[in-house]
Amino acid sequence: MSAAPALAVEGLHRSFGGIHALDGVSLAVADGERRAIIGPNGAGKTTLFNVLTGEIPPSSGTVRLEGTDVTGLATSDLARRGLARMYQRNELFEPLTARENVALALAAAKGPYRLSRARTSAESAEADVYLERVGLAGRETARARGLSHGERRQLELAIALAQSPRVLLLDEPTAGMSPAETASISRLIGELDRSLTILIVEHDMDVVFRLADRITVLHEGRPIAEGTPAEVRGDRLVNDVYLGKALEA
Amino acid sequence: MSLELVVQQALNGISFGALLFILAAGLSLIFGMMDVVNLAHGAFYMLGAYVALQVVQITGQFWIAIVVAPVVLAAVGFVIEPLLLRRLRGRHLDQVLLTIGVGFVIVDLIGLYWGREVRTLPFPPGFDRSIDIGGSAYPTYRLFVIAFAVLLAGTLYWIHRRTAMGALIRAGVDDAQMLSALGVDTDRLFAITFAVGAGLAGLAGVVAAPAFGIQPGMDVDALIFSLIVVVVGGLGTLNGAAAGAALVGPAETFGKVLFPQFALALIFAIMAVILLGRPSGLFGRIRIGR
Amino acid sequence: MAPLASIGFYLALLTFPDWSGAIEGSRYMTTILRDMTVFAIYALSLDLLVGRAGMPSLGHAAFYGSGAYAAAIASQRLATSELTVTLAAAIAVSAALALVIGLLCVRATGIFFLMLTLAFAQMVFAVAFQWTDVTGGSNGFAGIARPTFGGLETSAPEALYRLVVIVFGLVSLLIWWISRSHYGRALVGVRENERRMRALGYHTRRLKLSAFVLAGALAGVAGALSAWSFRFVSPNDAGIGRSVEAFVMVLIGGAGTLLGPIVGAGVVLYIDRVLSSAIPFSQAVLGVVFVAFVLAARQGIVGSLRAALVRVRR
Repeated sequence: MSAAPALAVEGLHRSFGGIHALDGVSLAVADGERRAIIGPNGAGKTTLFNVLTGEIPPSSGTVRLEGTDVTGLATSDLARRGLARMYQRNELFEPLTARENVALALAAAKGPYRLSRARTSAESAEADVYLERVGLAGRETARARGLSHGERRQLELAIALAQSPRVLLLDEPTAGMSPAETASISRLIGELDRSLTILIVEHDMDVVFRLADRITVLHEGRPIAEGTPAEVRGDRLVNDVYLGKALEA
Repeated sequence: MSLELVVQQALNGISFGALLFILAAGLSLIFGMMDVVNLAHGAFYMLGAYVALQVVQITGQFWIAIVVAPVVLAAVGFVIEPLLLRRLRGRHLDQVLLTIGVGFVIVDLIGLYWGREVRTLPFPPGFDRSIDIGGSAYPTYRLFVIAFAVLLAGTLYWIHRRTAMGALIRAGVDDAQMLSALGVDTDRLFAITFAVGAGLAGLAGVVAAPAFGIQPGMDVDALIFSLIVVVVGGLGTLNGAAAGAALVGPAETFGKVLFPQFALALIFAIMAVILLGRPSGLFGRIRIGR
Repeated sequence: MAPLASIGFYLALLTFPDWSGAIEGSRYMTTILRDMTVFAIYALSLDLLVGRAGMPSLGHAAFYGSGAYAAAIASQRLATSELTVTLAAAIAVSAALALVIGLLCVRATGIFFLMLTLAFAQMVFAVAFQWTDVTGGSNGFAGIARPTFGGLETSAPEALYRLVVIVFGLVSLLIWWISRSHYGRALVGVRENERRMRALGYHTRRLKLSAFVLAGALAGVAGALSAWSFRFVSPNDAGIGRSVEAFVMVLIGGAGTLLGPIVGAGVVLYIDRVLSSAIPFSQAVLGVVFVAFVLAARQGIVGSLRAALVRVRR
């Protein structure tokens, strides 16, 4: 018997006042897999992520995390079960330093009800490891609001990694980045430990084909194709609705 | 409770509700357009009453006061918005805090200028008597308040539904940012909105003065009641102010008769229940979390 | 600020009645300082919400007032003036009330939180005002016995002063401790980005509720101290005016700092007590000062000074 998929979604529906943002999404992502979700704007990618992280309840359908039904659980409970998300629009603690942003993620596991001292040197050292991994060494004491756009994306990733997740959702990790920054962050993602399962929504097809083991194509809230990058590239329907245009652009 | 008493209390409740509508309409308008809960609303109301007192002392005419006081208050609002609130555009919570300070200043200057004693405003001529309704004497001024509020509501609805200004307001309540994208001068619109809101508070102050008197602390009572009304009815809409006033006025009046000990707490309990269950109020359509 | 200076300042405050005898009007000044200290505790408790956790409560007087009433009623009904009993009653009542009100309020944010807390505080005010049998109604509750601690009396002004300042020291220490702790930083995280905190696995509502209860309990302590200081409690102690006062103190002094609320309490009380006997429009002055800070120096006195200091050092 094979192990349960890291993340399994079955018949997920979500509508907003008559509009079906998700119209029956099912997918199973194996442990350690890199799965890309692609599709045109409005295909339901961000809604899917919002449902997966519990920020929006699904209208119907189930979500399983490592075999356990987690449908309808609160965002914080899902996070505690090993689900982390790198937001598309940065969600940082603006007046805090880069180091403290990461430290808050690190401290989450032990809970907030501790009157012991925060900002210890041990904690800083631990946080700095993550900052260095994403290429923010030397920026530890810069405030989040003072970082450049690229640096903010890096910090966003460092926070997600500091949660020590089992499943990581990356919502357009390279959005708004320069080619050099894009190259470095996609290299970084590629080098992440294979025990980590990754779902990635991304518009940059180079990044998608480089990183993904498998690709799911969403269109109008429905998966219309799924397969290896080579299979998806060869799919005529996918080319019609999305890829052709995306690759030309 | 005898039928007589019920009729009398019902009339009291309706006339109190009528006053609350005048009071809450301005608060609601400002919130609807600007997303600001104007905590100086009670101070505006109080200032309206004192300006009316002054006008009556000079001219001896209530009917002049009922015109002058709202105009003076509108002028005050028209100055305060660009002078203070505009500097914090977009920072709604800070704007709310700002209005607290504005209220402090207005109330204290009133005390300085007019003194801190209880004052009275005589009933206007023609409405200083009582008539017989269902076997008991009933002051005609309260009937005037009801009629006046109905007339005002009708006028406001007409402006709201039929005029260009009303169209702007309806659009602004839905989405004020959209208006500025469409090229509407929002600075001017907000100044006018705040002026009209303050003017309505001043009008409520004049109308209330003969029945409720003029005294320190009236600002707090007015503020709290108008907050209750708009929260119950729904912040930011005319319907909400009307519905809230129609509910809270009689509820307060009958509550006082039926549960004298806990009438006030009862009203706040109603408000809390509505805020919790339906945070946008009975008729509200605003976004939560701002 | 250097810890040594803080300790020195605190000791000077604690011993004020002992060394100020030669100064003219020192007894009056002791009273003023005592009341400033009570208000400083009250402001510090609100700042836990406003400054740290970003919860703009406009109903904090509910807990100040309930603490004051609880201390007064406990000492009357239980016929004891023992500090441990009456203070415990104040803390228990205000914390329990904060738990109930907090449970209902922490879902809301921003202006809605502000209005919900205001609504509930007005309910408490209404109960204090109308439940005459227990609270004395609009007349208030007078002649409250000052507490005893073991065998120590606090009926003498100096003794009560010392009690107030010692409690103030303990509360300040607690807030300082919290501000350095994981708990304090988590509150700041909620203030800055509650959504992100949830995504990190924090149960933010529970966290906010805990801060609300703690702040309520500390406000209850301040209320009890005020009941003993003035030997009088009235519904106004739970009213909107008292709630606004705390907010003004926090904002003028500087939200989210330890020193800010203390300084703010000093400024507000100075205007309320000292300035008001000199000029007849002290509340208008307070209003103008408040407006000026909201408009131009939202970080308050302490926050602005700190920012200026950083600029100078560069």
